[in-house]
Amino acid sequence: MPRVNRTAVLSLLIVCSCVFLLFQLHYYRKYVTKQQGGPLLSPVHHLTNRAVQWQVLKKFLALAHHFHLPLFLADTLALSLLSQHALRQRDRVVQEPQCSFLCTDRPVLAFGVHASSWESAPEFVAAAQTKGFELLELRGKDPRLSSLDTLSGEEIPLHFLFRLDGYIIHVVFLYERSGNYLWHGPLRLRADMDRTFAPFSLLDYGRYAGAYDRPELILTVLDGLDVRVPRNITHFLVQQRDARFLECRFHEARHFLQLYPDDSSAAALDFRRKARTLLRVTTQTLGLLHIPFWISSGTCLGWFRQCGVISYSQDVDIGIFISDFRPDIVGAFREAGLSLKHKFGKVEDSLELSFLSQDVKLDIFFFYEDGDVVWNGGTQAKSGRKFKYTFPRFSLCWAELLELKVRVPCETQDYVVANYGSTWSVPLKNWDWKSSPSNVQENGEWPRAAIRTTVGRWRRTQTWIGTYCSKHEWEP
Amino acid sequence: METWTPNPRAKPFIPRQQRSWYLTWKYQLTNKRTIRRFCQAGAVLFLLITVIVNIKLILDTRRVANEDAAAQEYEDVIPNMETPQRPANRRKVLDIEVYSSRSKVYVAVDGTTVLEDDMREQGRGIHVIVLNQATGHVMAKRIFDTYSPHEDEAMILFLNMVTRGRILIFTIKDEGTFHLKNAAKNLLKGLGSQASLSLNWRDMWTLVTKKGGQVYGEKHSKSPALSTWGDPVLLKTEVQLTASEEAECLWADTELNRRRKLFCSKVEGYGSICSCKDPAPIEFNPDPLPNNNVFNVPVAVIAGNRPNYLYRMLRSLLSANGVNPHMITVFIDGYYEEPMDVVELFGLKGVQHTPISIKNARVSQHYKASLTATFNLHPEANFAVVLEEDLDISIDFFSFLSQTIHLLDEDDSLYCISAWNDQGYEHTAEDPSLLYRVESMPGLGWVLKRSIYKDELEPKWPTPEKLWDWDMWMRMPEQRRGRECIIPDVSRSYHFGIIGLNMNGYFHEVYFKKHKFNTVPNVQLKNVDSLKKDAYEVEIQKLLKEAEVLDHSKNPCEDSFVPDTEGKTYVMFVKMDSEADTTTWTELAKCLHVWDLDVRGYHNGLWRLFRKRNHILVVAVPISPYSVKKPAAVTTIHIEPAAPKEEGAPVEPL
Repeated sequence: MPRVNRTAVLSLLIVCSCVFLLFQLHYYRKYVTKQQGGPLLSPVHHLTNRAVQWQVLKKFLALAHHFHLPLFLADTLALSLLSQHALRQRDRVVQEPQCSFLCTDRPVLAFGVHASSWESAPEFVAAAQTKGFELLELRGKDPRLSSLDTLSGEEIPLHFLFRLDGYIIHVVFLYERSGNYLWHGPLRLRADMDRTFAPFSLLDYGRYAGAYDRPELILTVLDGLDVRVPRNITHFLVQQRDARFLECRFHEARHFLQLYPDDSSAAALDFRRKARTLLRVTTQTLGLLHIPFWISSGTCLGWFRQCGVISYSQDVDIGIFISDFRPDIVGAFREAGLSLKHKFGKVEDSLELSFLSQDVKLDIFFFYEDGDVVWNGGTQAKSGRKFKYTFPRFSLCWAELLELKVRVPCETQDYVVANYGSTWSVPLKNWDWKSSPSNVQENGEWPRAAIRTTVGRWRRTQTWIGTYCSKHEWEP
Repeated sequence: METWTPNPRAKPFIPRQQRSWYLTWKYQLTNKRTIRRFCQAGAVLFLLITVIVNIKLILDTRRVANEDAAAQEYEDVIPNMETPQRPANRRKVLDIEVYSSRSKVYVAVDGTTVLEDDMREQGRGIHVIVLNQATGHVMAKRIFDTYSPHEDEAMILFLNMVTRGRILIFTIKDEGTFHLKNAAKNLLKGLGSQASLSLNWRDMWTLVTKKGGQVYGEKHSKSPALSTWGDPVLLKTEVQLTASEEAECLWADTELNRRRKLFCSKVEGYGSICSCKDPAPIEFNPDPLPNNNVFNVPVAVIAGNRPNYLYRMLRSLLSANGVNPHMITVFIDGYYEEPMDVVELFGLKGVQHTPISIKNARVSQHYKASLTATFNLHPEANFAVVLEEDLDISIDFFSFLSQTIHLLDEDDSLYCISAWNDQGYEHTAEDPSLLYRVESMPGLGWVLKRSIYKDELEPKWPTPEKLWDWDMWMRMPEQRRGRECIIPDVSRSYHFGIIGLNMNGYFHEVYFKKHKFNTVPNVQLKNVDSLKKDAYEVEIQKLLKEAEVLDHSKNPCEDSFVPDTEGKTYVMFVKMDSEADTTTWTELAKCLHVWDLDVRGYHNGLWRLFRKRNHILVVAVPISPYSVKKPAAVTTIHIEPAAPKEEGAPVEPL
């Protein structure tokens, strides 16, 4: 008798767990995979899904082709597959002949498009919709107009998400900006928009605005489809990682300029022009050396506070992480027509270079990382006294200043407040770099013997070279 | 321990295998080891799958939850502040108040002021408002300065264009009858006015009527004497709204017609654009240019609140061969709806500008913002075409620019290319293929080089507190720095604006109406490269060499001064001792009926124009370097202004 009971109980349990398992499978298919649109259980499904994805892409790209829309592949996953493939030749193709690059494991694929070419294909959207694509349009303000603050135009398209059979094609609109770069806007959902339209966290683009160099495109065949891709994929992917772009706070800047109007004297105009030239030369020179730099001190304050340069500051300040230091900086700047005016400190401590172009000074401060702060040093030439300016850690973002694309600390306000205190928004003409900054600390003195070598004018004393760096390092 | 005995109740020992009832059963069934193993493995597999599925389920659920959280980052930080439009007023009756007086007019509909004008020296004439008879929305607002000539014709045109059934509101500010001819008065009578025929100098008058329907009210107060105005009148009346079913037109459902429909539901007074049967086109498809060098040059249209001008202007612009609508941006000074409606009707881009400052400075600030924005929006463009809303654009405007634009790149002594010849009137311009260099900056449809704007003009553009005209400022020597502009003999633009900041009917009649305007498509320009600095001097010397000297003993104002020949070149010498000595030229300009308000359109003291189809060179002696060509026997022409006569300046009535 007990035997029979046991059997009954156990079979009941098995039935129950089977039902439960089926329910789980059902739930999984219905809720989880539907929202994902993509990952599926068995490899059989996987294959058919790739086929579906491929069909969606084919349809979309055929439409784009029909309307002469020069979309280019901007998806980081697909592009990195492609760049790996370039190394490993074509073993993947043998494994998965159907759709090996464009069908990534994500249900999203990103394309970029120049906004100007989009304009000439107004029927594209309607055509896509008749083909069954659902569309989520994200528009926003035109930053090229908001720089004037008094202008308002129509909202421009920033991101379009096309959805078909659970697959999302993300079209990122790239706009030409005056600093000779391409810009895409941030993706922001308005209150009335469908939050479940796409897995937004899987999108490569849109968390922030981004700035890119204009990619050179080549037309190629991927998975049997004609697709444009950036010629230099690795470069594009590297850019993509640090593409975050900060728009200047034009509105606040306008308020500031109403309180403290810009100096429009000939001298101020002249300085502005020279500062721009100097900054352009700097961008080019350091760009060739692949040394990232950011605008610092007064130049950064000028950007943050008034979207311009402070005309009485009389110099241009930039920062470079000491880890990016290369001895051929000096040579490169000299080739670009700048003369080295000062060199303070040494690579291990408080390094600062300053160059002269016409009568405008370029100060390069090298930043040292130390725990959760970064700092740069200052040296008083006559006494050898050392100063230390500490900042909270920051990451780097792109920004536009004087129609040039430059980097700024992303946490600009913290950076500016660290340097100038909470009253940074009030202009101060009598600025003493040794006492005015709110983050300055005395940092001892250079030993007497080292003064001659660490505090040096390039021409007069070349001996400092010998002490801390070998001569050929400095003069490549 | 010894006393231990087995528990009698204990179960007898059973071998281990026998304990598994399942396996026992299995053995009983098949008694095969393999099957047992197989079933064991199956059970384990089953267990594993359950575990995996469960884990996956947990992970996925968690990921979805994470993504939901992550998606928060994409939320728009600023909540959508737009509140839905107030639901359409269900009331069937509109209360209308209309006021007419010397210094102020206003119209209020249901307590909302839809027109108020109490600015001094502005808004003279008859104000007309058109309301939608179903919704009560304002569809058009116009002022016809019927104190000035020809404005009544414009009013007739406008009233005829208004769709039947609309509600019309009229009110006079200051004076609106001096040039209100009978045709207009009769039309008003036809609309139901009782007083229109007796409207007279400085009368005050208001009228509310339905086109082709009843009159809702009219008030009129006569002016007692020439020097005084009639008493102010205030008309209060009610208008019954009609049902909105009166048919919207059944246009085919296309993108174009959607724009048209939207436009026609909002505004009135654009003629056959909104005609149901045969609407005027809003897309023009002009011929493309074979080698268009200006296809990617941005076009900035500078506009204010003159929507019907803008409409006329954009129509001519979009009909010009080689136009690229994607490059056109209309910059509207102020947040006016109707100009924006016009821009959207044509599917163009419009940008609105918050007005800064007043009068000339406002225009100047608007220009600055528009130019900056144009170069911002098109960072790759080296040039911009600048147009104004009161210009007609010639069919070969872009062809003209396409053929000349390279000069701006190749010749640093150039300031601009302009489509406008200040001296090019019907009787003084002849050759559409001929170009000049001039030392002034004519504007009115011109090309600006990016580097000139960005490096020179933008940084020192007059600030809002300076009440300067932007064009006068651009003509100042500090800005122009000796550079010249290329202009055609026959203008490629036509200035039709009658109302404007520095413009009125009289001024337009005298200086702009008779301006020559090219209507020939695809004109091939002659010797474009001879317009470069040095080549142009060679060209001028050649012209001077072959030119016949006119008979200087005759009166240059007489028609016989120029012989009745055709296609010849003549030269004449006029006295001009210094830059400031403009007497003779001004007098000559007056009798030639060309621009005489200041000295314009010369190159090195040389004017070029046509008389009776002959090319005439006018050389200023002695300031022009070409004076050396004057034969010694010829006496320079010198004209003193005739007695202190009235200047040709416009007379303001206020």
